[in-house]
Amino acid sequence: MIEMLLIFLAPIIGGFVYGFERIVRARMQNRQGPPLLQPFYDMLKLIDKQAFIVNPYHSILGIMHFFTLWVVVAFIILGQNLLYVIFLHLLSTIFLILAGFSVKSIYSHIGSNRELLAMIAYEPILIMLAVAFFMINGSFDISAIRENPSSIFPLILLFLAFLMVIPIKLKKSPFDATEAHQEIVGGVEVEFSGVFFEFLYMAKWLEYFFVYSLLVLFAGNNLIFAIVLALFTFLVVNLVDNATARIKMNHLIKIVVTIGLTLGMLNLIGLAYV
Amino acid sequence: MTQILLILAPIFFALIVLGTNVSVRNIFTIVFVTLLAVVSLMNFISFDIPIEISTPHYFHSIFVFLDFLLLMYFFWQGVVKKNSYVSLFALIQIILYAVVLILTPSLMSSDILVDKVSSIMYLVINIIGGIIIIYALKYIESEDFTRFKKNAFIALLFLFLSVMNFIVSTNNIEVFFLLFELTTLFSYILIAYRKDETSLLNALQALWMNQIGGVAILLALIVSITQYETVYFDILIKNIDTAYLLPIVLLVIAAFVKGASIPFDKWLLGAMVAPTPVSAILHSATMVKIAPYLMLKLAPAMSGFVSVTVTLIGTFVFFTASLLALSKDYFKEILGLSTIALLALMMSLAAVGTPEAIEACLVLIVFHAISKALLFFQAGILEKSFHLKYVNDINGLINHSPLVVFFILIGFASLTLPPFGVFIAKFMAIESLSNEIVKNPLYAFALVFIALGSVFLTLLYFKVVTKLFAKDVDAKARHVEISAYYTVPSAILVIFLVLGIYISFDLNLLSGAEIIVPVILIAVVPLLFATLLFKNAHRVKEYNCGEKDEIKLSMYYFHMPKYIQKAIIITAILGMWILVIGVLI
Repeated sequence: MIEMLLIFLAPIIGGFVYGFERIVRARMQNRQGPPLLQPFYDMLKLIDKQAFIVNPYHSILGIMHFFTLWVVVAFIILGQNLLYVIFLHLLSTIFLILAGFSVKSIYSHIGSNRELLAMIAYEPILIMLAVAFFMINGSFDISAIRENPSSIFPLILLFLAFLMVIPIKLKKSPFDATEAHQEIVGGVEVEFSGVFFEFLYMAKWLEYFFVYSLLVLFAGNNLIFAIVLALFTFLVVNLVDNATARIKMNHLIKIVVTIGLTLGMLNLIGLAYV
Repeated sequence: MTQILLILAPIFFALIVLGTNVSVRNIFTIVFVTLLAVVSLMNFISFDIPIEISTPHYFHSIFVFLDFLLLMYFFWQGVVKKNSYVSLFALIQIILYAVVLILTPSLMSSDILVDKVSSIMYLVINIIGGIIIIYALKYIESEDFTRFKKNAFIALLFLFLSVMNFIVSTNNIEVFFLLFELTTLFSYILIAYRKDETSLLNALQALWMNQIGGVAILLALIVSITQYETVYFDILIKNIDTAYLLPIVLLVIAAFVKGASIPFDKWLLGAMVAPTPVSAILHSATMVKIAPYLMLKLAPAMSGFVSVTVTLIGTFVFFTASLLALSKDYFKEILGLSTIALLALMMSLAAVGTPEAIEACLVLIVFHAISKALLFFQAGILEKSFHLKYVNDINGLINHSPLVVFFILIGFASLTLPPFGVFIAKFMAIESLSNEIVKNPLYAFALVFIALGSVFLTLLYFKVVTKLFAKDVDAKARHVEISAYYTVPSAILVIFLVLGIYISFDLNLLSGAEIIVPVILIAVVPLLFATLLFKNAHRVKEYNCGEKDEIKLSMYYFHMPKYIQKAIIITAILGMWILVIGVLI
């Protein structure tokens, strides 16, 4: 029952996280920042707007991106197979990428291509993460991972690698070249407007939920540690976001692939020997 | 006896279609293909225990005669076409084969042995291969050949089915060698079918490279006869001594050659100049599957060292071939390299040898054949109906033929995304390797290669979509009519993909929810297209920051420096040597 409620409320929880994050980031810059409910005000405003579309494919694929991501989050909440969840997440990303390709806009195309490239950086790390959890818990099931004690120490290297994935997925500096608002006008998002943009907006909230629910897996069955870990990571990610500048796409891939893969490999081989 | 029927019937069919006119030939071909499909399906359903059939002794004399004839032909072709490699390898094989005939093995078994894997291979060969032959009916008509040469093309494809059915049934390595060489002959003839200069050059290249495989098999035979007193797969595998695995490793190298693994990849890429049905049937769906099939046969005899090394080489090739494909523009070459990559993955899964890995390998063999045949069909349609070969020349295909775009998208999706078969196989591959890491940490490298390779393949497929999918706001759709001989086979393959989802559900490869949910998500998209018309929404043009210029979209490539390519080849060759030297020590 509580799981159903959680699934139903997932986008809204993500929205609160997003609103809270805007405040935290503003305070870090000595600003007041918007109210906590600002994302929801934005949403109400978007509903009111007149609907503009470029073509039906584009809008529908955007909507499907949101729904697929919601299903991904639901699978995580229900404690399904972690490896499978990662691949289902890939499906949702592919919907977004296809949406970007379905319009004749250079910004949208560059954005889609960058989404694809970013996948090279984070997908192998996520797969290695799933395998490492499997080696410790003997199962890919998220429910099994949640029942076992925290595995952050044996997985510390992969945890560090995962810390690099978070800014890519949440589009935070220095790894936000996929969105790059100032250069490619938001990339894939550029042709969405009004109610259709709202789906993308909510998908972003779900992305928060996705990333942080993967993060708390490191804490296992320890709820307090999970909260501490999530808060700590949240602060670190936002601090880095505020303190760094965007790097180029090719640098992003080089940095994340070399460091992330090395850390992951060492961790996996280490686990095999222990 | 259905096995004998599957081997002999296609020869008979080939003779019939040779001398008929177009419409009669087409009807006959469709009937024959249906017959073969039904027989192979019945064979699969009624299969319960391995079937052994012995052949009379004079058969061997025929095989020996055919073998020498074939090798002489190769030698002669090398002399006539002035390719010294071809003649050289043919000569080496003639000598080695003579040595094999002088040696007399004492342990005997039956020549034909049909097990579960063979009956699955029959399905792939006869059903997918058959559909490709139907597709070829129309394709070959648009080529500039004489009537006889067109019919001969179809006849050759039927003969090829017969050889393939035989090669997956044989238990005798000598017969296997003959059939292996026969598939090489088919490659050679069919690649050179257009008789232009590049075709001939590439055909000769395929001929000499594949003969390396032949040499490896003959060496394996000699070692096997001297050490194990047998030329039969089953006895060799049963009596294998883990301290002396040389015959197994030599056969593994033959598999790498047939599967066009790096460093033997050049011949398969060259083979892409052949007519598209040839690329589909020989160089993607069936013939190259001999490689993982052979690997599956040898898997029980592999020791820890051989198994790990082969797995590492295979996954390394999977990763690097996907990487190399990112720098290609020719659509068929992209498909060719991704075939090389996936074949290498199949071989490494077979080498892992756990029941789960073998199941993954079989799933991959079947579904890769379906998806690749579908994609090659579209490559053929692009070539014939749109006169396009290079991805970068395709522009807004969706305005002209949404159906082809749909098929290509389904083809790409079926190779990467849940709930399709190839995805399930990759998923199972990662699962089975995760189990093995604890036993040998080297498998961690294999796992990372698989993870990277599959991400590169996803990038490769979906970057191609750049050129297909961008719909003009006010496009004046110039609809291009595409023949039913092209669309119906493609549609049947899509149906197979959907059936495959049901079968994987039935076999419990994934849990129910894991299969049904993505099916719904993917099926919802076309449904929404049909129902949501967005009548109230205003249509607008794309936002271009005020620029008025006409936009021309292009696909990007990755520059692959020469030294990286060299490093990849050297690493792969090094891997093979480690394999050979490792078992010798």
